[in-house]
Amino acid sequence: MSTIHTVLPLIVVLPLLGAFSSPILDLISRKLKEAWILAISAGTLGVTGYVFYYVFKNGPLLYTMGATNPFGHANFPIRIVWEIDMFNALMALTVAFVSLMAIIYSVEYMKRDTGLEKYYPLILILELGMLGIVVTGDLFNFYVFLEIMSIASYALVAFRNDTWEGIEAGVKYMMVGALASSFILLGIALLYGQYGTLTMAYIAYKMAGHMTTTAKVALALLMAGLLFKSGSVPVHMWLADAHPAAPSSVSAMLSGLVIKAGGIYILARILFSIYGPSINVRTVGWIVIIFACLTLIVGNAMAVVQTDMKRLLAYSSVGQMGYILLGVGIGLAAYGSNVGNLALAGAIYHTVNHALMKALLFLIAGAVIHALGTRNLNDLSGIAKTMPVTSFAFIIGAAAIIGMPPLNGFASKWILYESSALFNPVIGAIAIIGTAFCTAAYVRVIYTFFGRPNSLTMKAKDPGKSMLIPIIILTVAIIVMGLFPWTINKDFMLPAAKALVNQMGYIHTLFAGGV
Amino acid sequence: MRGQRPSTGREMEVDMGLIVKTMARVTIPFIGIFGAYIVMHGHLTPGGGFQGGSTLAGAGILFLVAFGLKEAEKKVNKKVYSALEGVGGLVFLGAALLGFSVAFFYNTLWHNGPFFNGKPGTLLSAGFLPIMNLAVGLKVFSGFVAVAVSIAAFRRWRG
Repeated sequence: MSTIHTVLPLIVVLPLLGAFSSPILDLISRKLKEAWILAISAGTLGVTGYVFYYVFKNGPLLYTMGATNPFGHANFPIRIVWEIDMFNALMALTVAFVSLMAIIYSVEYMKRDTGLEKYYPLILILELGMLGIVVTGDLFNFYVFLEIMSIASYALVAFRNDTWEGIEAGVKYMMVGALASSFILLGIALLYGQYGTLTMAYIAYKMAGHMTTTAKVALALLMAGLLFKSGSVPVHMWLADAHPAAPSSVSAMLSGLVIKAGGIYILARILFSIYGPSINVRTVGWIVIIFACLTLIVGNAMAVVQTDMKRLLAYSSVGQMGYILLGVGIGLAAYGSNVGNLALAGAIYHTVNHALMKALLFLIAGAVIHALGTRNLNDLSGIAKTMPVTSFAFIIGAAAIIGMPPLNGFASKWILYESSALFNPVIGAIAIIGTAFCTAAYVRVIYTFFGRPNSLTMKAKDPGKSMLIPIIILTVAIIVMGLFPWTINKDFMLPAAKALVNQMGYIHTLFAGGV
Repeated sequence: MRGQRPSTGREMEVDMGLIVKTMARVTIPFIGIFGAYIVMHGHLTPGGGFQGGSTLAGAGILFLVAFGLKEAEKKVNKKVYSALEGVGGLVFLGAALLGFSVAFFYNTLWHNGPFFNGKPGTLLSAGFLPIMNLAVGLKVFSGFVAVAVSIAAFRRWRG
């Protein structure tokens, strides 16, 4: 019983403890509750940091619920397991970090709102759901965490229920999300019926020797559901409504984390760790690539024509998800080759980068709404004069998301361009066209910020400490990550990509944990 | 709703008349006992914390509907019920953490005692499961009652 096995379950224990105890603390004092929530969230970040460090040093990790090994008296796994390699550990760290930023920001941003006794438990449950998804190694456990995450986000999208916008977006999100969840559940049911187990690594093991049509149908259902959840293009309509309608701190988590943990992460896990080479990787890879190309063109192009700042950011999220999907698709189509690994590393790198950048941009949008009460770009002219720190942070975030050289977005996008051009020049060209649209969208916002101030923007000022600190931390993180792009890629992203591609290693971790 | 008595938006505040109130007075204790039975036998028979908790909440909601919001608000403090829901969650989490020295969710009561380790099929068996059922029952009961009272209290669209 080593330290890591004592610490690891705290990843879900801590947010649960915070969520359940917050209504009780609410009876005592509001200040105490906020301090408690912050402490819980910081503790979660500490735990994920330790897990990441452990996995980085010692390799993949297996944890069994309720016993010391997953097997019991059987010769096949019968218990829920958590399986953590570099890829999960990196995602968990990102989730905990951005969530902490969003929670620090909420203290001031939500000060004038009512209903905070639901807000803080919900935001911790949202974090819990995402952390659960990224650590689990069991398909049904994944589904439970997915629903925890989804239901918390439906409620948070409809949190501002004094406007019809929030309620409409929440209902729409719930309908689409429930449809997607039922696809996923049906896929899981088919896999369970076919292979008689829910442990991901054991399904992979059985599938390698015995691939059936049922499993392929299950893959189609799972992919359909997860593309819904990650806001891929033919089914992105809920995203552009849901993300702007939520309070900005929640938008930052939805756009930065939820579509990744509940969409891309698990899609990649299913495609690589469960199916992997058992399927025709070229065909499935190309299907993902086609969706990715559609997503990155349509998402970025739609961002150009928006006049609502948060809607623009939401469409930009759709576009950036296209890049990540592109990396996953090329990684699958060129399975096992250097180009494939590079593309996958780029996708993982861009996932982390985009979580930071989009969280920063949404937090800034929240600061602007807080100061001016509007998010219509036509009214924001000249904000740079009166809100200098916020505007500077916005320029950094926008430059990073476009992919300007000294910042972190450049490295990940460059890897994606490079690998897609090596894989197929046409796809490389499409990726660059997407960036052209993305640049147009953000340059328009920056141009507005530096325009002539109007009477409204003259009265604006930078937000208070609790809102400014997360913005500054995220800005610094983006700049610092931009300074060491190749080290980060070599030490963290490529090992994560290799851990994802290494299906035998994933299976081996399960069986090695059984002795 | 058309063609009926025009709504005043205050239907929830008044009771439903003598007949319904008398029937509710008679049935609420039985519903409560049945719900408690389902919760306590969760590890032996079909049902459990959620089902029993919903049944118990059914008694509470019947009280709210039959006697009206004013009467119910005397008995139900929304904040306290919200906190009780949290207590239910915390007890569940605590039961899961009992065997933390071996693993999260390790059923140490069942393996090592000192109680709830009787013969399988008897009431005092199954380790932490009865505790978890009670916790979930409390959580579901208080949650549903708080939700029903909130819906009755914060109805905004009239007519």
